[in-house]
Amino acid sequence: MAEANTFYLEIITPERQFYIGPAEALIFPAVDGQMGVYVGHAPTVTAIEPGELRYKVDGVWEPAAVGAGFAEIKPDYVILLVGFAEHPEEIDRKRAEAAKLRAEERLRQKQSIQEYYHSKAALARAMARLKTGR
Amino acid sequence: MASIKEIRTHIKSVEQTLKITNAMFLISSSNLQKARKQLTDVEPYFQKISTTISDILHHSPEINHKFFDKRTHIPPEKRKIGYIVITGDKGLAGAYNHNILKLAEQKLSQSANASLFVVGQVGRSYFMEHGMPIDGEFLYTAQNPNVGRARDMAETMLDLFQREQLDEVYVLFTRMVNSFQMEPTVHKLLPLDPDAFPQEEEITSYNRDVTYVPSVKAVMDRLVPGYVKGDLFGALVQSYCSEQNARMTAMKSSSDNARDMLQTLNLSYNRARQTAITQEITEVVGGAQAAL
Repeated sequence: MAEANTFYLEIITPERQFYIGPAEALIFPAVDGQMGVYVGHAPTVTAIEPGELRYKVDGVWEPAAVGAGFAEIKPDYVILLVGFAEHPEEIDRKRAEAAKLRAEERLRQKQSIQEYYHSKAALARAMARLKTGR
Repeated sequence: MASIKEIRTHIKSVEQTLKITNAMFLISSSNLQKARKQLTDVEPYFQKISTTISDILHHSPEINHKFFDKRTHIPPEKRKIGYIVITGDKGLAGAYNHNILKLAEQKLSQSANASLFVVGQVGRSYFMEHGMPIDGEFLYTAQNPNVGRARDMAETMLDLFQREQLDEVYVLFTRMVNSFQMEPTVHKLLPLDPDAFPQEEEITSYNRDVTYVPSVKAVMDRLVPGYVKGDLFGALVQSYCSEQNARMTAMKSSSDNARDMLQTLNLSYNRARQTAITQEITEVVGGAQAAL
């Protein structure tokens, strides 16, 4: 570890390794609300909801949109395994908006439980992208 | 010796085949490059997810969760076992499909109550021909693996497992050891078994118990499907990469064979042509001498 007040952060998706390196702080959307992490956090395992994530590197907050996944937190090391992760400039707002409309449209129609969950998940992903891309 | 006409037809047919194998070689080598890239991208995720799960399992001994339930009260001969077999969509890939199907047959003969879930057209038609029942709803292609397909497959499996339609789920895929070596592999998907994950040497002083936010159940409910999905996706990518690699090698060697064959055929064609000319001259000369 470079400094005493940073921990090692890894954000990994099936498509790529989004971020690997030191970070000073991290805020991510947990199941029951936002969760913040500083160095020296108690060992924790938690699940991540689609939403906006922020991590602080060299005093600057970097936002990113993330999909569902989970996080393993140790005092000096945090690993996030998520479905997707995108920088704000990578987010295609039009596509996300179209996806949101599509998901809302599908949710209004009668469908099986599984389809309902898929639509819900698609909606959550679109919302996460839109929120971060703003 | 075969006649000139025969040799010429043979040469033509070999040339045609060479064109096909060469084209397939080019296609599979470009596909392989794409698949390799995907494999190198997915590998860190795949490894991290298993080490993380292993880490979690070894640091929290008392996990009572439905995905960890081994259902030991069911005797071995009554256990319902699901096999996901990942084959290619097309043949002409050397021993690739053959090897994985052989492994599947061997596994099936060991278990009485097995259900088959087949990915890829080759495997599907193979099992249908041999009169083995396969799940008809489980229709997925082996081409261009993506996360969405892995998610659908994972959901089906988790659902069957939870409804006790299946007690164990294995995935049979071809692991790409390196570009010359591919091996068919069996991987246990469900239930999760802490013993199946290798215990790592502790590097850090991280030995305390882990807290789960908000609860063990809530975390596991999300973590396990994510793990199964990641696992299946990894298996799909590995298989696809192996398939393209196997096809490329097979097509390369058959193209080489065709070229060798063309060479010998051309040689015997020329020889036959020369013989014919010599014979004709001899006949003309003979005729002229007779006329004198």
